[in-house]
Amino acid sequence: MLLYAAIILMMLGLYGILTQRNIIKIIISLNILEIGLNIFIISIGFVNGGVAPIFTGQNNLGSIGFVDPLPQALVLTAIVIGVGTTALGLALAKKIYAKYGTFEIDDMKGAE
Amino acid sequence: MASLEFLVIIALLGGVLAYLVGKLSKVVGASLTVLVSGFIFVSVAYFGLNGSLDASITYLPFVSFEATDLYLGTSFGILVTFIFFMVSFFNPYFVDKFKYPSLYSMFYLFSLAGVLGVFFTDDFLVLFFFFELVVWTSLFLIPLGKSKKAASWYYGFSAFGSFSLLFAIFVMRNTAGSFNINDGLSMVGGSDQILVFILLMVAAFAKLGAFPLHIWLPKVLGNSPDPVTSVFSGGLEKLGAFVAVMGLVKLAPVGPVIEAIDMALGQYLIAILGALTIVFGTLMAIRQDDAKKLIAYSSMSNGGYILVALTLLNDTSVSGALYHVLIHALASTAAFLAIGAVNRQTGTTKMSELGGMIHKMPVTYIVYLIAIISMAGIPPMGGFVSKWLIFQSVINEGMILIAIATFFGSIGSFLYVFRPLAALFLGQELPEFRKVIKEAPFFMLLPMIILSGLNIFTGVHPSVILQYINNVLAELGVTELGITTWTLSGNNGDLYPALIAVVFGVGVVIAFIIFIVLKKSRKVDLMDTYTAGNFVYTEELLHYSVDFYAPIERLYEKHINIMKDFYKGIAKKVQEFGSFVKYFFFTNKPEITVLWVVIVLGILLLWGDLL
Amino acid sequence: MSAVLLIAIPILAAFISIIVKKWSPYMLLFVSFGLVILLGYLPFEIITIGGFSAPYGISLVVDNYSYTALYVVNVLFFLVAIINVCNYKKLGTILLVSLAGLNGLMLTGDLFNLFVFLEISGISAYIITTTNKKPLATFNYLVAGTVGSILYLLGLIILYNMFGTLNMQDMAVRIAASGATDIEVALPFLLMFIGIGVEAKLLPFNSWVKGILGHSNKLTGPMIAGVYAAASLFVFGRLLTEVFVISDTFMLIISVILAFSILAGEAMAYSSTKVREILLFSSIAQAGIAVLIFVSGFTGYAVLFISLNGFSKVVLFLIINHATEVVGSDEVIDLKGLFVNNKLVGASFTATVLSLLGLPLFAGFFVKMGILSQLFSSGDYVFPAIILLSSVVEGVYFVKLLTKLWYKEDNLPQVKFELPLVYLVVVISLLLVVFGLYFEPLHEQALVLVNHVKGVIL
Repeated sequence: MLLYAAIILMMLGLYGILTQRNIIKIIISLNILEIGLNIFIISIGFVNGGVAPIFTGQNNLGSIGFVDPLPQALVLTAIVIGVGTTALGLALAKKIYAKYGTFEIDDMKGAE
Repeated sequence: MASLEFLVIIALLGGVLAYLVGKLSKVVGASLTVLVSGFIFVSVAYFGLNGSLDASITYLPFVSFEATDLYLGTSFGILVTFIFFMVSFFNPYFVDKFKYPSLYSMFYLFSLAGVLGVFFTDDFLVLFFFFELVVWTSLFLIPLGKSKKAASWYYGFSAFGSFSLLFAIFVMRNTAGSFNINDGLSMVGGSDQILVFILLMVAAFAKLGAFPLHIWLPKVLGNSPDPVTSVFSGGLEKLGAFVAVMGLVKLAPVGPVIEAIDMALGQYLIAILGALTIVFGTLMAIRQDDAKKLIAYSSMSNGGYILVALTLLNDTSVSGALYHVLIHALASTAAFLAIGAVNRQTGTTKMSELGGMIHKMPVTYIVYLIAIISMAGIPPMGGFVSKWLIFQSVINEGMILIAIATFFGSIGSFLYVFRPLAALFLGQELPEFRKVIKEAPFFMLLPMIILSGLNIFTGVHPSVILQYINNVLAELGVTELGITTWTLSGNNGDLYPALIAVVFGVGVVIAFIIFIVLKKSRKVDLMDTYTAGNFVYTEELLHYSVDFYAPIERLYEKHINIMKDFYKGIAKKVQEFGSFVKYFFFTNKPEITVLWVVIVLGILLLWGDLL
Repeated sequence: MSAVLLIAIPILAAFISIIVKKWSPYMLLFVSFGLVILLGYLPFEIITIGGFSAPYGISLVVDNYSYTALYVVNVLFFLVAIINVCNYKKLGTILLVSLAGLNGLMLTGDLFNLFVFLEISGISAYIITTTNKKPLATFNYLVAGTVGSILYLLGLIILYNMFGTLNMQDMAVRIAASGATDIEVALPFLLMFIGIGVEAKLLPFNSWVKGILGHSNKLTGPMIAGVYAAASLFVFGRLLTEVFVISDTFMLIISVILAFSILAGEAMAYSSTKVREILLFSSIAQAGIAVLIFVSGFTGYAVLFISLNGFSKVVLFLIINHATEVVGSDEVIDLKGLFVNNKLVGASFTATVLSLLGLPLFAGFFVKMGILSQLFSSGDYVFPAIILLSSVVEGVYFVKLLTKLWYKEDNLPQVKFELPLVYLVVVISLLLVVFGLYFEPLHEQALVLVNHVKGVIL
């Protein structure tokens, strides 16, 4: 279920990048794509009925399924990187606005 | 013993030295090319003819040579180094006109090193190395002349040719397991052999400037500096002939045998293309106004003779082809040098702007006269012997159409080679040149005189050289030509070249006596034309060499640009393709990349379903 | 010396340079020079970070391949830095970060770690390209690069789901052991291929290149076309030779992509009238050839090819971008006669171009022959034909360009090249000639790298 949601989000993100001509909207689409991917990664590690992967007194020797911890660790990194990219994208958007006075790519004059 | 490696190194180091010296003094740098190329020619000729060239390698990496029993390479090597040597006499006189004089001297010698390598190696990869070396070093000699575009045309065709050579080399390597030339050529078979044959022929055609890969030749020969033109026509073109010998003679004939003429289809097709080259070159030469371009087209049609003769694979034809390589090199170099000398003294090679040079440059005139007599194949000169051999083998083979083409070329050459003679040298002097022109300096005359002497010698006493060519024939596995000291035996009887020469000599003497005895003709001004009271604005248009063959030209002038347009079309298509891709892939819209990503992924996914 | 330092030192220096801003250019020079020196003392080993052994922890691999790659990238980086450090003082920090990212790319043996470094170097590249003053082009680069790395991550996660590991060598072992069919792994591999392909400028995925390199300056041109291109191709090589299993379907798709890249790249360069565009489109074709050699499995020659190409592109872009900055236009017509008064620079440019074309007496000839020889002996006639055909086109436009840059009578462009730049290009082009005459070292290096097969596992 989660997997499908993730794939739909990614598709939405791609669709957004393909169709939108507004800088901000493109950045948002990129974000949606990233979020979809992050959810996808989480969903890979998900085990039905699993518990948090922490060794405690109750669950030690794997009699109960752990959720795979690695994707969660990966997602943290991916989120951070995504935030960085978004920030940089927004900074560029500001520069573009300062230069062309618009966010619409189609309206930019002399942008070759 | 002279080591080939040593000679190659001498040429390369000599090039660098000539560059450095050229920085100090242009003329001294250029004179170095005379010394170095002279040294190389003398060593190659002396030790090559003795069969004592040393092929061992100590310093150069990966290079390997073969010198023993290598008559083909040696004969080509001697010829081309000789041409380089002869032409190098011109360098000191021309070098100060060039934009980059010291670079010229360097590349001149580098090309020489490349040529040596090509002819003496036994390894295909080394051959390709030197082949490419010749291409790019000679490439930089071209734009020193009139046209900058000629260089890119030259590179395009040359690269196409040398890359097909490379392709052929690797195909043969895959069969033979090594890069050895003889192994490769003898072991390749089946469909690979057809491929190799085609590729080698493309390489030969591109280098020789044969139809349909001839476009670069007149551009390069017509626009390069005069010494470069001579080297190209007499020396570098011969690389093409060398490759053609490999593909046509050393490689077993390709394709089904045509019963009627007892000839393989592959050879026959090449013969047809060779014949087309002759016809095409002749027709184009007829309509040129620039003397250099005219001889350039004649060079092209002579390449056609070599190709036609090589396809026939019998004693008269192959020896004719090899002899023609020599003859054409001598004659065209002499002709180009003569025109170059005129160009240096007057600054133009356009026939309609010149006239009466015989009064001031008589030696040059004689040199040119002898060269074109040889080119037209008229008896006392070498051209007659080689054409005699080629004609009779073509007829003997029963190839009517091709025989007609060769005759056409020969007759056509009467039409065109005498035109520069008449326009440049004969007629009346132009007023603007009357005072300033002198005969070319002695060291320019020297190579021209030597070449003329050889032009005559090859016609009077060819058996010495044909004897040597017989060694080459034996090496190539072709029946040797029957030769005695004073006769050549062909298919239709014997030829006595010396006797013919004597008869001609007597004729010339009689004519000269008549010329002395009879009354002198009246001298008029060149532009002394009857104009019925009209005022003439552009006198040049009334020069008799303008539109000389207009009626003939009118027959085909609409069709002369077909091949050129074809190649321009290709270039245009490449350009359009590039612009098209640029338009579709490179915009300032970020979604393009994403779109193509999605498309490629979609293809894979759909494909996965289909599978 | 541990390979970790190659990443740690620049990062640390970057942090310090934020605090002491004035030092940043000097720190950049010092660090990048220091790394080049330190590389000499780098032992071949596999370093496991934090003591977790290979499939569980992250490992850095120093073998012949990454060692060569590190050398090439670091030296190139240093050269580009030394030329530009005075003009772009503000960028010291970013360049240090990007150096760390690039070194990480070369070193890492872990697929996810590769993604992280891809993003680090990517983000620094975006910032570096803002110096072009074309924010929209940079934005395009950012979008394309981000989408690319997202795809890479997606493919990587799918692989992780299938095989349960992120270590490259472990992954290769498990793929081989699992008996997964080629079709099953084709999708994740293609995703990763596209992801890196965006950075490596393969044709359908590289619309950003024209905006970036077409307006590049003396820093961004050599940096992106030289250093980054080399780095991304090295990464490609690592993945293609060590991880990917190339199935027929996958091979067909990438063959089409590569053939298209090569041919269209040359055609586009042929149809361009601006020098920078000619160079950038030709580098697209070169990238295609490099990947093609990797796909065919000839690592040694691919590495040589990439290295030579990296150095050549640095020379070409430095010269042209400097001239463009002075003249104010990169149209061939405006730069005509550029070398008439700058003969030394012109000679270097020419030698580099000739080496790029693979003509004898230059290092490029040996590499090109090696590549073609390998391709032919694998029985493949199509790709050599494509490469040779593209070389003809390449030769024609370069010869056209050269004759134009060398010949003009009057009204010459007034361009002076400063001494460091002249020294740099002359030295590199001299090296190209030296290695062209004496190519035994290159040959040995190629053999060493050929013998480098999927290193030591774990």
